[in-house]
Amino acid sequence: MPDPQEPSTDPDRARLRRALGRERRAIGIGAALSAAAALVWPLQALCIAGVFAGLLTGNGITPGLAAVLFVALAGLRAGLTWLAEGVLFRASQNVIAAERAAILRREAQGAAESSFGGPGAVAALAAEKLEALHPYITRYAPAQARVAVVPPLILILAFWQSWAVGIVLLMAGPLIPVFMALVGWAAKAASEKQMAEIGHLSDLLVDRLAALPDVRVLDAGALVTSRFAEAAEALRARTMAVLRIAFLSSTVLELFAALGVAMVAVWVGFSLLGLLSWGAWGGAILPFAGIFLLLLAPDFFQPLRDLAAAWHDRAGALAVAGELAAWEAEAPAEILGTGGAGEPLPGAATVRAEGLTARRGDRLIAYPDFTVAPGEKLALSGPSGAGKTTLLRVLAGLERAEAGRVEVCGAALNDGTADGWRARLGWMPQQVAFLARSLRYNVGFGAALRPEVVEAAALDGVIATLPQGDRTVLGETGAGLSGGEARRVMLARALEARPDVLLADEPTADLDFETADRVTEGLLELAARGCTLIVATHDPRLIARMDRVVAVS
Amino acid sequence: MRSMAIILRYMIVDQRQALLRGALLSVVVLLMGAALLGLSGWFITAAAAAGLVGAGAVFDVFRPSAMVRFLALGRTAARYGERLQTHDATLRALASVRVRLLGSLVRAPYERLQRVRAAQALNRITADVDALDGVPLRLVLPVMAALATHVVVFFVLWRLVDLRVAAWVACGYVVGGALVLALGTRAARGASRWAEVAAQAFRTRLIDLIGGRADLAVYGQLVRQAEAVSAAEERRRAQVMSLDFIERVAGAALAMTGAVVTGGALWIGGGMAARGEVSPASAAIGVFVALALAETIAPLRRVLSDQGRIVQAARRVAGMLEAPATVGGGYGGAAGGMAFSGVTYRRVSGGRAVLDGVSLTLEPGTVTAVSGPSGTGKSTLLLIGAGLLEAERGSVTLGGCRVADWEESAFRAAVTLVPQRAGLLQGTVAENLRLAAPEAGEDALWEALEAVRLDGVIRAKGGLEAMLGPRGSGLSGGEARRLVLARALLRRPEVLLLDEPTEGIDGETSAEVLAGMRSALPGAAILIATHKEAEMSFANKRFALKDGCLVKCE
Repeated sequence: MPDPQEPSTDPDRARLRRALGRERRAIGIGAALSAAAALVWPLQALCIAGVFAGLLTGNGITPGLAAVLFVALAGLRAGLTWLAEGVLFRASQNVIAAERAAILRREAQGAAESSFGGPGAVAALAAEKLEALHPYITRYAPAQARVAVVPPLILILAFWQSWAVGIVLLMAGPLIPVFMALVGWAAKAASEKQMAEIGHLSDLLVDRLAALPDVRVLDAGALVTSRFAEAAEALRARTMAVLRIAFLSSTVLELFAALGVAMVAVWVGFSLLGLLSWGAWGGAILPFAGIFLLLLAPDFFQPLRDLAAAWHDRAGALAVAGELAAWEAEAPAEILGTGGAGEPLPGAATVRAEGLTARRGDRLIAYPDFTVAPGEKLALSGPSGAGKTTLLRVLAGLERAEAGRVEVCGAALNDGTADGWRARLGWMPQQVAFLARSLRYNVGFGAALRPEVVEAAALDGVIATLPQGDRTVLGETGAGLSGGEARRVMLARALEARPDVLLADEPTADLDFETADRVTEGLLELAARGCTLIVATHDPRLIARMDRVVAVS
Repeated sequence: MRSMAIILRYMIVDQRQALLRGALLSVVVLLMGAALLGLSGWFITAAAAAGLVGAGAVFDVFRPSAMVRFLALGRTAARYGERLQTHDATLRALASVRVRLLGSLVRAPYERLQRVRAAQALNRITADVDALDGVPLRLVLPVMAALATHVVVFFVLWRLVDLRVAAWVACGYVVGGALVLALGTRAARGASRWAEVAAQAFRTRLIDLIGGRADLAVYGQLVRQAEAVSAAEERRRAQVMSLDFIERVAGAALAMTGAVVTGGALWIGGGMAARGEVSPASAAIGVFVALALAETIAPLRRVLSDQGRIVQAARRVAGMLEAPATVGGGYGGAAGGMAFSGVTYRRVSGGRAVLDGVSLTLEPGTVTAVSGPSGTGKSTLLLIGAGLLEAERGSVTLGGCRVADWEESAFRAAVTLVPQRAGLLQGTVAENLRLAAPEAGEDALWEALEAVRLDGVIRAKGGLEAMLGPRGSGLSGGEARRLVLARALLRRPEVLLLDEPTEGIDGETSAEVLAGMRSALPGAAILIATHKEAEMSFANKRFALKDGCLVKCE
């Protein structure tokens, strides 16, 4: 079968082969079963042909027996199909599950967002796009097997009965690969184009929905709706123009199939009437053979048409393989330890940094050496982009230093100690990312809220305004919490962990003075209980409240 | 199911023509397929019979063989037309659902608008609407076409063969298909829905894991979260496995329906031919037509697996399509200033009051500023003023008439709000500006851009026809902010409500922007919610919002 794909997709094909991996045997079995099911049809055709031969010549089987045999064979065929589908479905689920597990494994250990995309892009790959492997395994693979088996067998049966029918099929047959290439190419182009256009329409809708409050305020609802309708209509017109051409090529394939069947039917009819004396072995064809051949002819073309219909499944699978390859292309930086719950490291919670350098992009940041004693309040200051956040991440074992050493509780921070170290840490990131769960879970990870935590973080007012209180699901938008309120939730979470060391990244950025002061007070209260504070900030008011400043530049 | 009906009704009402064309061609394809096989079977059997008795020379071969060729070509052509028409119908239905959704959400209450605009809500909507695209192509058209085909075929078979054969074929397929569809959808409903739910959980949890990776690691929750992701995947897998089982049963049942109907036609027709009631050629018509009609029930299988996704999507989308619209009164007089009196508002009933009896008068030609820390209710005050939220107690009047009694369009012409997170659309700068004033000439647009000191930036980007990306990307935060302010000016409102208008604009420019806006609308009453000193000092009257109450600042 000629392949319309360019050689440039070879890595995609290799990746697809690798994805199929251990399931290739199962896929082979499923495809073989599917081909076997298709081979039952000639036997069923024999039953029908036998009845009419009997009615016409008296030399055949009775309708009752034929009907029972026909249905029994159909049962065999359905059973084989059932098995084939089951095997292929299982195989496809295994393939997809293995890829999902690999994505999950790597993303759970990843230190930073990959250039492949953010959480949404990776989740789309894992949840939706991987599903494109399913039709490839369950439809394309068996169609391929049927093409390899069914047309040759029918060709042999045709030649056995009549060389003329054999030649008709043989003539139409080899032309089909040529059109397959054409169809495959066009179908791929069409489906891609259609997907792209529909995607575009969805993007357009999303764009409009995101601006709805403005549209409302500007009283532009009718205008925006009618413009969107125009855009949708224009997209439809463009897509249809493409489809008109794309469907034409598959119509050519069907045309060949239809003409092939019609030629067989007409030849058989003429031959039976005795109007043609050539084409069959030894004179005219028998009624039995004529009806048998007529029933077989459409099934000669059917597998080819199935394969053509499944062609875009292959294109879809290759596209996913390409994305998987792109996602894997980046060597992942991993966090230290597992990120699971660990036994807290023993000893005083000192932090020491020695000769630390860290990489950010292609820039190398060198940090001054420092030691933080338990209970100390340290500010890391410096202009934005100086590497304060990176330093906090290195101290938390979320990122590996390029060189140098971090010592925590008197032990080197490494894969063995990181989980234990983090069990003593609190953490306030600058970018608040809520889990799509309740406020309560976001603070205590399943534990009930403690009143003193709610009070210290001044959360009671916040909870009172939420529709379901502390059970309100926060999610991406934080259920409408303001920036300051979101920060306070992060503070509450840090307090809830009862940390010995708190790492806070710009805890007062983008807040008005009053809210910033509330957050600062919360931090100092924690310090008063003996917790070490390491705060990255360029807020002079916050820096003034710290014991010591380490400049990062 | 009710939601499905709502969506279907919209699709049919909007796209009756396209759907009908598609259905009609589907019927033609099915009929021609049945006719081709039936005719071929009859032709060959009749030819064999004629040949056997030596009557081959007088048998009319040309009309049937011409018909066979005609049907073969005609069916191919009809198939081409059917594919085009059904895709066209699908694309049209898809557009109309989206247009309706947009049209309905534009009128929805403000809280809903806020919820809809979050990225994940938007993803959800996109996925839902995409899921509904399959409804016409996979569900409606095949079922409609199959039923119509069976009706026609029944009468033709009755006429050409026999009532018993005709009835057997029609009843067999219709009853068999309906049974598989009814039992199958019922059996698959639970698994299909739970598979969809688990797939959603997998997605959400994975997004949480990746997005909150650092936080989860520090708090020792990363492993637990990864386990939760796997658990969702396990559940999904178990559900799709049982769904696949049901689907395979349905597939086998459909295949056996076709086989039993064909076998039955063979038995009944063959028996009648053997008794000489009909000719063998007529009996062949029944068998071959029955064989061809298996095509009519094959698409039913797809319905089973997709129903969970489609029904869930339909439920959510139908909910949005039927969203209550905000209604206004019919007042449309002169505006003048705006007055808040005793306005009280709670986000949750029984909760703390965000605004507690706020009274404030906005005089034409003055600038009023309200300051306060984030979350104190400044934005809420503005939203109430813009008629987007309703006060629990107290009233807001514009030109002496209550906001609720104003006709919406007249009210919008008089009052404009620039929300904190204002939105721009993908399109040109001019298109974005003309949202506010569709009839505005280029001069007016430039004037508005000059007022907010954005004319230079836009000129450098290529003028009014410069393209903005999705949500106005391509402009910096401050530039986008100023474009939104220019857009508000084009409304020439009498009351202008500004929520942190110069956020993201540097100090010097922000003073110029405020002055430019003031001189562009000398007679307007302006209310600014702010926590910036520069904006406060720009105002004639200054208030601070504290614990839901306004305090005058000196």
